[in-house]
Amino acid sequence: MADAAVAGYAEALLAVAAAEGDLSAVEDELFSVAQAFRSNDELRSTLADGDVPAARRLQVVDDLLDGRASATTSALVSMVVGAGRASELPAIVDAFLERSAASRNKAVATVRAAVDLTADQRVRLAAAIKTATGKDVEVRVVEDPSVLGGVVTEIGDDIIDGSVRRRLNQLRESFR
Amino acid sequence: MRNRLIRLLAAPLIALVGLVALAGPAAASGESVGACMAHVLEHEAHGELDEHLLHDEAVQDELEKCFSAPNPILPEVNEIIWGGAAFLILLVVMVKKGFPAVQGAMDARAARIAADLDEADQAKQDAQSVKADYEARLADAKAEASRLIDEARADAERVRADLVARAEADAAGIRERAAGEADAAKAQAIADLRAEVSSIALGAAERVVQSSLDAEVQGNLIDAYIDEVAGANG
Repeated sequence: MADAAVAGYAEALLAVAAAEGDLSAVEDELFSVAQAFRSNDELRSTLADGDVPAARRLQVVDDLLDGRASATTSALVSMVVGAGRASELPAIVDAFLERSAASRNKAVATVRAAVDLTADQRVRLAAAIKTATGKDVEVRVVEDPSVLGGVVTEIGDDIIDGSVRRRLNQLRESFR
Repeated sequence: MRNRLIRLLAAPLIALVGLVALAGPAAASGESVGACMAHVLEHEAHGELDEHLLHDEAVQDELEKCFSAPNPILPEVNEIIWGGAAFLILLVVMVKKGFPAVQGAMDARAARIAADLDEADQAKQDAQSVKADYEARLADAKAEASRLIDEARADAERVRADLVARAEADAAGIRERAAGEADAAKAQAIADLRAEVSSIALGAAERVVQSSLDAEVQGNLIDAYIDEVAGANG
């Protein structure tokens, strides 16, 4: 039921964004909102709290995105939060991105790194992933200081972990 | 039998001794001095009693005799006759009546004594029987007591052996558990120490890595990662 709802909202977001004609910008903004939602517990708990009135939650969304996102993105986030699906917003955004990429015959590669990748690095990384997996991917970078250094790439269920954090964990395991 | 013969001879002998001893007084008491003197004077006076007669020496001698005691041994004949008859009568009565009565009493007494002796023997035998029975019971009681003591001793020995075996088993279990706990504690201490050391070392390493990860190093790490991914299938 939850998966069906996520899929339905993802389809709706994709249809609205495509209709508004600024799909690429909406994808980037929704991806940023979803990452902020994942990393901020207070924001997530506030928007997902059923006891908080819907008007209050929508006001929080407006305050958060005002001036930082397009009107389409704000409307889509407000739609999801107003419908009481705030806790599922990251999953809905992931499904939206996957469908959007699939419409272009591509997959989404979520890349987590301590620092942002340059445009050149993103292009070379996409080419390298295509070489390694045979898939055309759209690289979406998440800055994650816990990685310390290097990169962790997630393509669906596949994970390519080249982070310093992994090497430190391997070192920790070797001590045991 | 011999006692009976002695008793038969003793009776006449006692009677004869009594006759001789009592004859004198019996004779002396038969005639008084006055009667004796009257009889002498009557015999000498021949019917004519005067004062000359009393001066006659022959008469005085006869009168003097009246003052002398009669024969103490020989009684008067008639007394002997009466005394002998009485003695014989008494002897017959004694032999016919007294002696059997005495004999019967003595026989009865002898029988009673014999019965008493038999009774005493019987009592003695009964006492010996009771004593034997008592000794037998005492022996049984001693044997039973000895058996009970032996059983108690065997039980005590068995209980002691059980307790010793149980104590030894408990001690072995305690030693084994203590050894196991000591080994576990040792292993845990080593693991804790190793974890602590590794945590300290990893913390230090992480700090060193973070301090050394400047923008250039980060870019190099990302490039190296891209090359590694690209070369994974190559």
